[in-house]
Amino acid sequence: MLLDVIQCVESGRFVIIQDSVQCCGRQLLQSFMCAALKREEVVHVLAFDVAEEDLRVPSDSGCAQRLCFHDGYTDPLGWNDSPPLTVLQFSPGEIHALLSRSEHPKPVTLVIDSLSWVLRHHPPAVVCQCLQELRRGGAVRSIVALLHSDLHQQGIVGSLCHLATAIVTVAPALRGHHTVAKTTRRTRSGRVTQEEECFIIKEDLTVTVQKQTHHPGQRDTEQEEPQADPAAHLTFNLRLSEAEKEAKDKLSLPFVFSQEKKSALLQPRPGAGQIIYEPDANDDFDQEDPDDDLDV
Amino acid sequence: MFPELNSILSISPENIPQGQFVVLSDRSGDASFLIHHFLSLYLRAGCKVCFLGLVQSFSHYSAIAQRLGISLPQARERGQLVFLEGLKESLGELLLEDVGPGEGPLDFLRCPQSDLRSLFAFVRRSVSKGVEWGPPVLLVDDVSVLLSLGVTVGALQDFSHYCKAALCRELKGNMVMLVRVEEDEEEEQSSELLLKALSHQCSLALHVQGLSTGYCKDIHGQVEVCWRGGAAPTAGFQQQKKLFQYKVHDKGATFFARGTSSAIL
Repeated sequence: MLLDVIQCVESGRFVIIQDSVQCCGRQLLQSFMCAALKREEVVHVLAFDVAEEDLRVPSDSGCAQRLCFHDGYTDPLGWNDSPPLTVLQFSPGEIHALLSRSEHPKPVTLVIDSLSWVLRHHPPAVVCQCLQELRRGGAVRSIVALLHSDLHQQGIVGSLCHLATAIVTVAPALRGHHTVAKTTRRTRSGRVTQEEECFIIKEDLTVTVQKQTHHPGQRDTEQEEPQADPAAHLTFNLRLSEAEKEAKDKLSLPFVFSQEKKSALLQPRPGAGQIIYEPDANDDFDQEDPDDDLDV
Repeated sequence: MFPELNSILSISPENIPQGQFVVLSDRSGDASFLIHHFLSLYLRAGCKVCFLGLVQSFSHYSAIAQRLGISLPQARERGQLVFLEGLKESLGELLLEDVGPGEGPLDFLRCPQSDLRSLFAFVRRSVSKGVEWGPPVLLVDDVSVLLSLGVTVGALQDFSHYCKAALCRELKGNMVMLVRVEEDEEEEQSSELLLKALSHQCSLALHVQGLSTGYCKDIHGQVEVCWRGGAAPTAGFQQQKKLFQYKVHDKGATFFARGTSSAIL
């Protein structure tokens, strides 16, 4: 499903890549950029977290023309003079102005690295509104954003994820150099599908899904070697033949209370014990309370 | 400077990497020996060093550097080291009344809701002077003390971002910041968040932790070394991790794999 999300060309797409300190999602973001460029799309990057050279994708000259960086890294708050892009410019109007500066009139893919930077300086509601307006505006065909989800409260991450059509959460795999991606995808009809996949990203930024891990626990048991049969080399017999099994089934066990046994026990037999009670003269037998003599 | 740590990190005074942002952190342990290591390493390598010493006095750092074979007063005289003594400066900042905001590097102490712009301006000024020295280095000991002075985690993130953009990218230098994760529950939250935020930005992280079994005479704790992103020695997507136990001596420190302390074997 991760590959479908990367290759999806539906308009109004909004993908959030969630990462954490343990596993960085930036390379996956670059793969999204690379895939969009290969589809002849125009890609605009709002780079706040890292510098342009750290987010470059290997591309030919045609791609390079369609890739447009907006440097929000050098001076995002305007502390130095003449900032190229500040985080305060994160509003639908300003972003539209930035996008219209490029020569390509085609609808663009907007890449945001990262939403965490923006969320630090704008209230979550403003960020959500801005993203929603960008999607509806028509100038932006799709948005791909990176979000460091461990830096924000769960509610904020949740409300952003409600806007997204696809959420990819990356986490380190237990072993090997893979990364686990948990993809949640929401279709227009409102159906939600989820899948967990192991993937690696090659040097040319193409994503290869290694295997699907529906249940991480199950995968571990599958990989275990078949255990040696402990009953293989015994000096005695542990197994029963058919005849032996039949004989065993026929045998009634001493504690099983069958019908014959019950009737045999209830019928008075000759020589069986009998209780004879002869009331003594001193016996004070009370009909109404037979247990009167017991100390209860 | 600890040669053993240098070989783990594949750094030496002759071969200082460029554009590295190192985050040091400690939790129920003490990572300040790493600050002393990096201070002496960069001074020995001839880098221009700006040191924001917010928790100890100059003479404290100087005494330790002396043992590691570096003279801080000399370095300061030569103009190689710019030392901001937080303990003294902050007092001056608070006692002075006639100075308006935006003057000293620590003017955020007067209005706690403000950003660390003036501190960044101080760093910027100090590293741009002294062209004869090597690539500039910023050392901060420690960042989390600013949290207790009323600076928000967001403001610290902005500060480190600007420092990283200026030092690591523009001037091709390096940056080392120490974060203490407090034991106190309330303070732990913000210092934990700060550590996460800086770890997202950094290229190398050294996490020092005390032993879970408590104090030990021969093993002082463990240190986890994480290379992030492109800084990893072998290029890989994920971060690389190595775990060592260490013992700090009078004039150095030894690092060994877990369970291989000379006291055990």
